Amino acid sequence: MSAANPRSSMRIFRQPIHPMLVPIPIACFVGVLLTDLTYWWSAEMMWADFSAWLVSVGVIFGYLAAIFGLIDFLGNRFIRAQAPAWPHAIGNVVLLMLATLNMFVHSRDAWTSVVPWGLTLSVLCVLIVLFTTWMGRSMVYGHRVGVAE
Amino acid sequence: MRPTVTLSSMALGASLALTLAAHADEPFDVQSQVGPNPVLPHIQQYLFPQMHLSSVAGWKNGEKPAVAAGLKIEALATGLQHPRSLYTLPNGDVLVVESKAPPPQPITRPKDLVMRFIEKGVTSGGDTGPGNRITLLRYDEAGGKPPTRSVFLDHLHSPFGVVLVGNDLYVANTDAIVRYPYHDGDLTISGNGVTLTELPGGPIDHHWTKSLTASRDGTLLYVGVGSNSNITENGIEVEQNRAAIWEVDRASGRWRIFASGLRNPNGLTFEPESGALWTVVNERDKLGPNLVPDYLTSVKDGGFYGWPYSYFGQHLDPRVEPQRPDLVEKAIVPDYALSSHVAPLGLVFYTGDSLPQKYRGGAFVGEHGSWNRPTFNGYRVVFVPFSGGRPNGKAEDVVTGFLEADGKARGRPVGLAIDKTGALLIADDVGNTVWRVPSAGQ
Repeated sequence: MSAANPRSSMRIFRQPIHPMLVPIPIACFVGVLLTDLTYWWSAEMMWADFSAWLVSVGVIFGYLAAIFGLIDFLGNRFIRAQAPAWPHAIGNVVLLMLATLNMFVHSRDAWTSVVPWGLTLSVLCVLIVLFTTWMGRSMVYGHRVGVAE
Repeated sequence: MRPTVTLSSMALGASLALTLAAHADEPFDVQSQVGPNPVLPHIQQYLFPQMHLSSVAGWKNGEKPAVAAGLKIEALATGLQHPRSLYTLPNGDVLVVESKAPPPQPITRPKDLVMRFIEKGVTSGGDTGPGNRITLLRYDEAGGKPPTRSVFLDHLHSPFGVVLVGNDLYVANTDAIVRYPYHDGDLTISGNGVTLTELPGGPIDHHWTKSLTASRDGTLLYVGVGSNSNITENGIEVEQNRAAIWEVDRASGRWRIFASGLRNPNGLTFEPESGALWTVVNERDKLGPNLVPDYLTSVKDGGFYGWPYSYFGQHLDPRVEPQRPDLVEKAIVPDYALSSHVAPLGLVFYTGDSLPQKYRGGAFVGEHGSWNRPTFNGYRVVFVPFSGGRPNGKAEDVVTGFLEADGKARGRPVGLAIDKTGALLIADDVGNTVWRVPSAGQ
């Protein structure tokens, strides 16, 4: 067989930390699109409040996940050598910048915390999430990155 | 760890760019927003509100505010517990309402956590003792002796407005108008209070100061009930009967909305010449450093003044949805703009005769001062000349010097009153002082 699986630098009990954290921002960024849409339809402030919490928690855990992801990325040239690694990394940096912007837009008062720019950013973030998670999964399931021997 | 540095510096760069964009303000003449036709610039919405809060310095020994020519100023009482409003009784005794904000509203958004942290120790909440009481000051202006003090009423619930009708003294707590028996010469109220009318209070009690006045014949009370948000961000349902002036029947306690669309009306008082009700109003925040001007206005029965849907007539606020074109159409343009974010909380017409001639019949306005613009505005008492019951001329500074050169607040003016001698009184809720401003010659 070929060489060993590319190893993650940041692990707990042989499991890489990065994939432990990423479900939280992924779920939050998908969630904020749903609550933004519901607020757009209902003008009920409760949904905009949900959006503000979701995007804020998503951003915080997104940065945490990014730190461990970047250490893995820069810590092992065999990881960097995989085809999906660069689009995954660059896509997620763009995602975090847009999500941070979205968090600030969502800190405004009432309608314009969501419509139109909050909602627009939430749509963009979900599109990028679809792409970067696809790249991330193909690193694991296709290229066995971080998979234990 | 090089990788993290790369990422965080990117994030830092992004947020720095946003911050810089938010602070690039064009030069703007604040005076163009003083008077009946304020210049209203385009709306600017920021990624984070422009917060510039004044931390507390207090008055050091011998320091006092500056006054206009022909006036002088002295501290009438110091060491008070967050004095916010004043009322002169017929015998010359002065009531000082020492009031604390009600418990903070529930946290509903991540922003609330951040704001509460930033505002800690900066605002005028003032940890100066239990507060929520009314202190009576009795003094003889000729003797020059410090006033005698007595606790007039204690254990109130965030009180603000006070008015006396006959032997009935009404206190507007944040959640109710309460009536107490008062007799000429009382140093303290011994009788129990009776609730006349409940007012909108907590659990959300965003604008909590309930200003109070009585009609000339004493049959009706007028009470200001501020909005429960900046701009409906707590939901429209919590704004029911708020952002309004209520008219309360003194005999029965029955009430109706006298006027609405007034975001945070304070300083309710009747103009002596026309007999019309006037108020100062704190307008909405977070639309830029020069929006929306706070104002001084007469209040028409049944009038709608825009909040939340529009400001200064038909200027729509994009943050409010659904809009109400039917209400916006009839929104009244206020009489006199005071410029943006000055936070007027006190209003009194000059009915005395001991201050210089030019003050007679005009209005003094206590401007608590701004937080939502890069350069401070307000933090002073201004005078608006009146003629024929209408503002007539440019507002001028009367009492200033509440800020130090570095922007720390020595004090902040709130409620105003005229004492029996015709001197102007100012409640200073950061300096915890009541200031008295007589003529320089007196």
